[in-house]
Amino acid sequence: MASPRTPRSRAERRQQQRQDAEDSARSPDSTTKGFLLPLSMTGLLVALSFLPRVQENPVLIRSFWGAAAVLLIWQVVLFTRLKRTSATRALVPLLRPQHYLQAAVQLSVFVYWGWFWRPVYDFAWLLVAQIVFAYAFDMLLAWSRRESYVLGFGPFPIIFSTNLFLWFRDDWFYLQFVMIAVGFLGKEFIRWNREGTKKHIFNPSAFSLGLFSVVLILTQASDLTWGQDIASTLTLAPRIYLFLFMLGLVVMYFFSITLVAGTAAAVLFGLSALYSAAQGVPYFVDSEIPAAVFLGLHLLVTDPSTSPRSPLGKTIFGAGYGLGVFGLYAVLGAIGAPTFYDKLLAVPLLNLSVRGIDRGVHAIRETPLLRRRRMDVAPRRLNLAHIAVWIVLFVVATATGRTDGRHTGDSLPFWEQACEEGRRNACRQLVQLKLTYCGDNSAWACNELGLHYMDGEVVPADTELALGYFSRACELRFQAGCLNLLQPESAVTSVPKELDLRLLLREGGVNLMGMSETELYTRACEHDWSFACSRVASST
Amino acid sequence: MIGRDGAGSRSTGSAARATLFGLVGIVGTSAFGWALALEPISPRPVTGRQTLQRPGVATPPAFREDAWHLPDEPLLGFVEIPAGAFLMGSDPSVDPMAFETEQWAPGQTRGTLEVPTFYIGRYEVTVAQFEAFVEDTGFAVDPRTLTGAADYPVAFVSWPDALAYARWLESRLRDWPDTPAELSRRLAQGWRVSLPSEAEWEKAARGTDGRIFPWGNAPGRDRANYARAGRASVGSLRCVECAHGLSDMSGNVWEWTRSPYQPYPYDETDDRENLEEDALWVMRGGGYNDTEQNARAAVRGAADPGVRREFIGFRLALTSF
Repeated sequence: MASPRTPRSRAERRQQQRQDAEDSARSPDSTTKGFLLPLSMTGLLVALSFLPRVQENPVLIRSFWGAAAVLLIWQVVLFTRLKRTSATRALVPLLRPQHYLQAAVQLSVFVYWGWFWRPVYDFAWLLVAQIVFAYAFDMLLAWSRRESYVLGFGPFPIIFSTNLFLWFRDDWFYLQFVMIAVGFLGKEFIRWNREGTKKHIFNPSAFSLGLFSVVLILTQASDLTWGQDIASTLTLAPRIYLFLFMLGLVVMYFFSITLVAGTAAAVLFGLSALYSAAQGVPYFVDSEIPAAVFLGLHLLVTDPSTSPRSPLGKTIFGAGYGLGVFGLYAVLGAIGAPTFYDKLLAVPLLNLSVRGIDRGVHAIRETPLLRRRRMDVAPRRLNLAHIAVWIVLFVVATATGRTDGRHTGDSLPFWEQACEEGRRNACRQLVQLKLTYCGDNSAWACNELGLHYMDGEVVPADTELALGYFSRACELRFQAGCLNLLQPESAVTSVPKELDLRLLLREGGVNLMGMSETELYTRACEHDWSFACSRVASST
Repeated sequence: MIGRDGAGSRSTGSAARATLFGLVGIVGTSAFGWALALEPISPRPVTGRQTLQRPGVATPPAFREDAWHLPDEPLLGFVEIPAGAFLMGSDPSVDPMAFETEQWAPGQTRGTLEVPTFYIGRYEVTVAQFEAFVEDTGFAVDPRTLTGAADYPVAFVSWPDALAYARWLESRLRDWPDTPAELSRRLAQGWRVSLPSEAEWEKAARGTDGRIFPWGNAPGRDRANYARAGRASVGSLRCVECAHGLSDMSGNVWEWTRSPYQPYPYDETDDRENLEEDALWVMRGGGYNDTEQNARAAVRGAADPGVRREFIGFRLALTSF
């Protein structure tokens, strides 16, 4: 008679596999061989520094070499110490679907977004370098503290997730390596007991993103990064919300994060709608949920190991993210900080609340009333039901114009009108929009900004700043800007020129450079530019 | 100050992007014929400072280090041009080199224009003067702007750059206790340091007798730096016959004015028409690399306000506009 097999959980089986691998790999010889891996990673990092993309900037070269030097010194010191004490170190190969599937989904976002915003592709080699650095760093960190390093795809989602939201400009790229290192250090050292085991508190990428966001806000150094560009260029990719939604379904199906992402989105859609109904203007300027936030609620806040496990806990966690982003957007705007940090700052705070949420949920579930009503539904089936609800919600949001497509806030005349009517935050948003367009070389927007800073009605008067904007408008061949530069008190205005319209009417991302003049003015008329309507009428 | 915020920053890229609209006057078939008639210009290498060693060479002007390198003269280089009428535009029967754009109106070759009193710089603004402004304010300039000898006319300046300098100098002169009394009085009356208008410039250049060149009706390469290879020190050519004793009104660098390009007849009150068209600002006087046709006092150039070129600079005016 066959002996009865002891039933074992998946976790136990994984633990056993890991133990077997560690046992077979633990020998002085394998330790030496193991060290060849971080050494080759370091060599690869140096080799990458000779790529033309890196060679074009001396700071970038020094950043690569600096990172490689740190890794090399670390492994020499560690290897020497291990040799002296005859201690061994092991590599344990283990592929986890949450790593490689997440990485594949994140990579798809880079590929699609980069197709429409080329700096992403231009950044590809720097992304590769970060992955190489991350592997070596993570390996050395693990071997400095314990015997084995689990070799899988773990660093990929951390690097991708970080870079989907923030990367430093070439002249400051060494800070990117520091940011990556901080993420891994946070994962290794900031831990707590949860469900009986020691676990890291923070989502590694969200931890470093949050920490660096705070520092960048406090030092007013956001322009060292591509943060603002990253946040605003996602919409250059057509149907980005639909694209992210489809990718999100993959993650939701495999990792049951539907309640987190879905609740966060529902809360944000709901609060946006409430605000819009109460104030008459959109909350997030030109969208109900900014595309970068939509990305964040799918791929940043949803790390299963740093979020609650129970359905109610996930719901609370997701709602917390929605509320956090909504509140932080207002706070950041009020203090004059870039609002794109909203989606990044909320995550570490939520990670810290996980144990509290778990305790709260446990207490609720154990109340006599709920204990009696508890349904015994398989988690997978429950997740499918949640996905179905999420699909319905997204379809409704899309059908009512709350995702891709034209949005009320896309129209500058709408904000002009709202500002004149004294609607909440409308003047601030108007100035912000003009700042963005002026930055994109819309001469009309620069002249308008100059006028705002000259008359001091919607922003504090600042003549020097006003002259700066007039000067820029003038150099962009906007005659009113030149006349205002000559006589600032004259306050000359003019309607946007054709090139201005091609920038002002993009609705977040569409490239209008090839659009015919007739179509352009028709579109401008649809955006409530009255001069354009007159022109369309006179031409027909 | 304009250059300290992002909106005011300059780059070589913007100069490259900008399109020089070119000299409006050159357009036309007559230009080709005149170009053929001119003696060929053989470019010569410019190595460091170029001072023109010719019979007409002048005693180099002196500049005051304690006054932002302005000319060491009682009015710091400003010359008063008295109020009165002058003949503006060109009559082809008198000046065969005249371009069509200089014709006052259909059926009328020249116009008589009354211009109130104003002051104009005897010399073009120099590299040293502009450098004093840059050092004082941190104004961001094209890297090429401060190249060349200290007493060369400053070049690679856009129209807004020129205005920024004028605005800065005005504020300095208003605050400076040693500002000449006459200038202080004018500033107190609300006059401004700016660029000359097109009419002010032409009146200063040709006087009231309608001469073709600042010194008379015949070309004279010994009096002005044109048809040559590079900039020369301001005031390095003597021109005793030049109207109002001004230097380099012909050649050296084209000079920005505060007038937008409009077809004649000239009228300062119509400067705000055509706001929807691309800005184009008048520059006057021709540059070192131009032929004598463009060294005439009535020639009208125009350029995109954002361009920065080695042959474009400016001189100042103190005026009541």
